[in-house]
Amino acid sequence: MADRGETQRERARRLRVAGDTDAPARERPRPDYMEPAIEIETPEPEAVEIEVAPAEPELEPGLEQEPELEPEPAPEPPRRRPRIPPPPPPRRRRRMRNPVGFAPALGGGIARGLDLPAALDAAAVLLPGPGRETAERIAGRLRGDYDQDEWGYDEELVKLVRPFFEFMYERWWRVDAVGVERVPAVGPTMIVANHAGVLPWDATMMNVAIVMHHPQPRQPRFMVLDWAFRLPWVSSFMRRVGGVVASPYNAIRLLDQGHLVMVFPEGAKGAGKPFSARYRLQRFGRGGFVEIALRTGASIVPVAVVGSEEIYPKLGESRLLARLLGAPYFPITPTFPALGALGAVPLPSKWRIEFCPPIDLSGYGPQAAEDRTVVFELSEQVRDTIQQALLDNLVKRGSAFI
Amino acid sequence: MGRRVLITGVSGYWGSELARRLERLPEIEYVAGLDVRPPAGDLRRTEFIRADIRNPLVSKLIPATEVDTVVHCDILLAPEPGKGRRQLHDINVIGSLQLLAACERADSVETIIVRGSAAIYGAEPSGPEFFREEMARHFPLRTRFQRDVGELESYFENYARRHVDVTAMMLRYQPSLSATLESPLTRYLRQPVVPVRMGFDPLLQFVHGDDAVAALEAAVRRPVQGAVNVAGPGSIALSRLLRLAGRIPVPVPGPLFGATLGAAAQLGFPRLPPEAVPWLRNGVTIDVTRLIEEVGFTPRTTLETVREFVTHLDGRSGRGPSDDVVTVAVA
Repeated sequence: MADRGETQRERARRLRVAGDTDAPARERPRPDYMEPAIEIETPEPEAVEIEVAPAEPELEPGLEQEPELEPEPAPEPPRRRPRIPPPPPPRRRRRMRNPVGFAPALGGGIARGLDLPAALDAAAVLLPGPGRETAERIAGRLRGDYDQDEWGYDEELVKLVRPFFEFMYERWWRVDAVGVERVPAVGPTMIVANHAGVLPWDATMMNVAIVMHHPQPRQPRFMVLDWAFRLPWVSSFMRRVGGVVASPYNAIRLLDQGHLVMVFPEGAKGAGKPFSARYRLQRFGRGGFVEIALRTGASIVPVAVVGSEEIYPKLGESRLLARLLGAPYFPITPTFPALGALGAVPLPSKWRIEFCPPIDLSGYGPQAAEDRTVVFELSEQVRDTIQQALLDNLVKRGSAFI
Repeated sequence: MGRRVLITGVSGYWGSELARRLERLPEIEYVAGLDVRPPAGDLRRTEFIRADIRNPLVSKLIPATEVDTVVHCDILLAPEPGKGRRQLHDINVIGSLQLLAACERADSVETIIVRGSAAIYGAEPSGPEFFREEMARHFPLRTRFQRDVGELESYFENYARRHVDVTAMMLRYQPSLSATLESPLTRYLRQPVVPVRMGFDPLLQFVHGDDAVAALEAAVRRPVQGAVNVAGPGSIALSRLLRLAGRIPVPVPGPLFGATLGAAAQLGFPRLPPEAVPWLRNGVTIDVTRLIEEVGFTPRTTLETVREFVTHLDGRSGRGPSDDVVTVAVA
């Protein structure tokens, strides 16, 4: 066991040395025997930075320090407020924080030949504190001043969209998550879950559960059916929030880097199964996920997601439309495609997610990946665990929609 | 006794840069360069052999040089002005065949190094990121250039199989980027507005122009058997690259993208090779562990490469006057 801890630590270190990929780990209290997790994120209200607060006439002087301003060839408005404000001339302050003047200043900047980020930066000084930070952040992003790791994962964007998914988690589906703390805080870990509900909402909800409730959360990466990477906007969005093409090579590389990886061995068979087959697990492929876990020394956390089956009750499908769109299936639900895009709004079922105790595979060693008997046995064991947990939690959840 | 090296395509950018570097190494006793036109004047001790690599005559010339290492740089990754698509195929495939035939005759040859391309992996939506060397040909080779590269690689694989004592090394390059480099890609990135495929943001990977040559030099010093990927570690999304470069992306809907590039080329916009269409949609990234660990060469990361390219792009970001772009495109 100590041995295993060592390799995990080694992995975490390697990953940190690898440098450009991940955001620096933030310091926070942790059990003393553990290394800092690689991508600890605190679900703190950083996402609030997008909210533009109403103009406040007065700010406490403590809020003076802003993120460093670029010494641009700035237009007339002075960039720094006076450091030691002896009774501040209120007139002047008001002139500087003039949200109304923002748009004309932006337009003026562009007209003067500045490019958009520079003009935005210059005009941002007119905005009050939070709005100004937002504008400067947007200018920074437009300048390419943000991080994406080698997989295209964009942490800032993830934080930006998190409030929406948290709303879906807490209000829309009222998710109860059980056993989140069983997910190992460090080291290569594979989350294996049932897949249902046409769109990958289940992955995002597991993601929110981990980020919100895990004592040392880390951002999971998830395997996405390659069909999604053929779709405009979907492909670029998926990649930015941590999705990768569902390929064993990608899974192995991510696990070797010590990531938390979500896989759905049922694949499209699970997501596209009819409503009548709900909560019945489909075949788990050829057990490839077990092979990958064995090869990388990852532990497997089986997860049962209850509730995702009801969000799009799939009554039938259209082979013809699926073939026309090149999609793996084209679902017909009570609301889709009858209500068009509105039909894509998922029904507000009640959800329950159980993270089962991790299955430690380190006893087998990587050569077991070649042994079909072991692979099929383990695959079946994981499948049974999830199926059992599904039925248990289905009972515990009670009514589907209330 | 020092090493004796022959470089094909010595008058091209890659060949002459490599020759310049090898001339500085004391352990290299002799450098010969093969090309149809003489290299730029500043090569000091490279012996220039004027010959067309497609001509059967090379199989008489190469054994006479008694070289132990052949570096094949006479592979064109993109059509150049004056060298059309047909010629590209001739040089890449027929030229390589002639070269291999010549090496069969030359008993002194111990190492063959080829400047190949990562195009063999293909830019596919279902492709994994960070292809390793053994993952070539998972996808069909779709464009002519890809098929050329595939053909070329199989010739070298066959050669390696028949000559187990010869180290046949295939370097698979990602596109190079640097301030001084001229290519369809750099011309594309120098435009003030850049057409991109609507809704797609591929992960791309580049190798710094200097590192691309340095990797050839490292390969000469420490050749290894088989394919080796050459790229800057990491990746960069096209959208971020354009933002860093201060370029304005013009999203073009998917079905029109290829046609738009073609039409833009008619209007004087740099012509991109056909591989660029899937490349700008799906991107390709490759794993460079083998280069770093076995060849012992660590290139600059893709992000560093891009940042350096961007700072030299036009001395300013954003909408600078674009008159220099025109001269560059013509040159």
